[in-house]
Amino acid sequence: MIQKKVCMLGTFAVGKTSLVRRFVESIYSDKYHTTVGVKIDKKVVQLANSELTLILWDIEGSQTENDLRKSYLRGAAGYLLVIDGTRQDTLYQALALHNRVIDTIGAVPFLLLMNKADLASEWSISERETTALHDKGWEVMKTSAKTGLGVEDAFRTLAQKLAEA
Amino acid sequence: MPMSDTKGISDYPKPDPASDDETVAELRSLLLGQAELQLAEVHERLFDPHRQLKEISNVLPDAIAVRSRQDDELTTALSPTVSAALERSVRKNPQPIVDAIFPIMGPAIRKAIATALGGMVQSFNQTLNYSMTTRGLRWRWEALKTGRPFAEVVLLHTLLYRVEQIFLIHKETGLLLRHVAAPNVAVQDTDMVSGMLTAIQDFVRDSFQTSRGDQLETLQVGDLTVWIEQGPEAILAAVIRGNAPQELRPILQDILERIHLQFGTSLTEFTGDAAAFVATEPLLEEGLQSSYDTAQHVRKSSGKINPFTVTAAIVLLVFLVWGFFWLRDRQRWNSYIEKLRNEPGFVITDSGKQGGKYFVSGLRDPLSRDPTALLQGTGVDANSVVANWQSFQALSPQFVLARAQKNLEPPAGVKLTFNEGTLEAEGFASHNWILEVRRTARLLPGIYRLRDDKLFDLERIEDPLLLFDLDQVTLQSGQEDKLNRLVDDLNHLRQLAGVRPVRLEITGHTDGSGTEMRNDKLSQGRADTVAATLRPRLTSWSNLTIISLGTKEKLRMEMNDVDRATNRSVKMKVIVDDNH
Repeated sequence: MIQKKVCMLGTFAVGKTSLVRRFVESIYSDKYHTTVGVKIDKKVVQLANSELTLILWDIEGSQTENDLRKSYLRGAAGYLLVIDGTRQDTLYQALALHNRVIDTIGAVPFLLLMNKADLASEWSISERETTALHDKGWEVMKTSAKTGLGVEDAFRTLAQKLAEA
Repeated sequence: MPMSDTKGISDYPKPDPASDDETVAELRSLLLGQAELQLAEVHERLFDPHRQLKEISNVLPDAIAVRSRQDDELTTALSPTVSAALERSVRKNPQPIVDAIFPIMGPAIRKAIATALGGMVQSFNQTLNYSMTTRGLRWRWEALKTGRPFAEVVLLHTLLYRVEQIFLIHKETGLLLRHVAAPNVAVQDTDMVSGMLTAIQDFVRDSFQTSRGDQLETLQVGDLTVWIEQGPEAILAAVIRGNAPQELRPILQDILERIHLQFGTSLTEFTGDAAAFVATEPLLEEGLQSSYDTAQHVRKSSGKINPFTVTAAIVLLVFLVWGFFWLRDRQRWNSYIEKLRNEPGFVITDSGKQGGKYFVSGLRDPLSRDPTALLQGTGVDANSVVANWQSFQALSPQFVLARAQKNLEPPAGVKLTFNEGTLEAEGFASHNWILEVRRTARLLPGIYRLRDDKLFDLERIEDPLLLFDLDQVTLQSGQEDKLNRLVDDLNHLRQLAGVRPVRLEITGHTDGSGTEMRNDKLSQGRADTVAATLRPRLTSWSNLTIISLGTKEKLRMEMNDVDRATNRSVKMKVIVDDNH
């Protein structure tokens, strides 16, 4: 059994916690966010010929990248950058967070999750911006914690990347 | 070269310089040949730095070995360089050195500290174990109440602990490497617990600005404790229920050190596959096991009798016995002093104990009781008491009376009483004694007045003479009143005397005329007459003893008829039996 530490990063109220709440095993309440600033959850992902356990460090949503507790990033094998598709500023903050992560632990596999896909009509992030990210080599996935769209897929995709890394 | 040869060569025609050089070279090679090649090699060896490096590197280890055997100059020479190198290395990046010495550092430090503090710690532990802490006393009380051995009560309170779980956690990622749990322990998802434990450590370190290298060591909730031991690559977290003894810390440290030693490479290269750490399980289980060993050990140590306890018990016993006797002696002495204080005629000015002996000093009336006699029954040894008494006259009524008794010597029949400065004499006494009392009583300290109105003067009986006519044994006429008074007084005396035997002595007398034989008869006859006259009238004298005697003694010298008439008489004397 291979385990990997994975961080869930994103600005305040982008839906990180909602993403994990329905799809992962958890023994800790959401209160941990406001107290310790991080909540540990577990997700076992079935891959083609193996199984990978993701230990998810759901890090408290911060307003800016400067609020990020760097020590929680230490030892992470990969991370999920979560943004709110309806709030463009969350994308810019995610970019800043990304730079921060690279400064701290170096380049490791990651995914950008555009959450709240169920509210596609209210999206404020343009197609051009997502294309630009693709061009940078970023993998962007659309998810909806509400409908469950793309969530399992996202975890599996990241797990696959980690297994190959 | 001889001078003539040089001259000779210079005489040859001058050759072409170029061809000359070639010739010389040729000549040299012909002459020197092999030697020239060797020379070139030596030259290269001496001046080619690369070659030199290689040469030296070949002999350096041996050279160092040879020199080291010879003396320690090399060590001295290298010391500053090695120190500087080490210092620079540490300053640049301390981690490799920390990692390298970590496995030996722990044991070394512990050993040094253990050696240095061993004695102190031991005595400190003993003090802790046996000192009269409130907790200890409470447990002793509990042991007394429940009838359980003290050691068992202590065990119940302090030593009932169990290492329930041990987590081996990868330090960098917070991922669980291995987990062991004691039987029947409810275990949460250990992967998540492991991550959370790591997160909490990070949280504490970030939140409270601990100094670099400081780590969270203990988490405590109720009777559950989490002890966290830090290593360079891995963390050991032990979940302990109950009161964990400090002896457990080194055991956990030792386990972590051994894991680092045995699995160092696996730890450094860990990328998420914990399979390699299955083998740490026996080591980790030692941590679970050791809790029972430690409990056993402590149980044994608190159950066994140690010399300190024995000594303390003996000292306590000796102290108690000594204390008992000391208290008892003190109690006895105090009660004796109290007795003296309450005893009339004593004034205690000082008392106490000095040089192993009791002393008492003060004033004592000579009429008081003997202080040595007072010791009887108090339990105080007379030989252990030094007394220093000054005489004085006590003015308490009791002593005034006692002094009066002693000085006035009242005859039987007199009762003395003393009240508020007044000495009263009751009863009956001789006229002389009454005169003496009146003269001396008021000279005695404390006596201001004398009352003697209830004192019967025996003169009233002994003074009057009953007269007879010449050569007669019948009473002279006209003495009825005298006789009546005498009877009254005798009855009064009888009353005063009470049960005391009183004898009445009646003595008959004659004048000088007549023959001796006749006078004997007369005197006896006259006494008998008075006795016979009085006896029926003294009915109150239940045991009247009348002694009638005749005597040749004359009451007075017979110078004339009055003297002769006086001598023809009977005289009475009262005799009181003092022995009664």
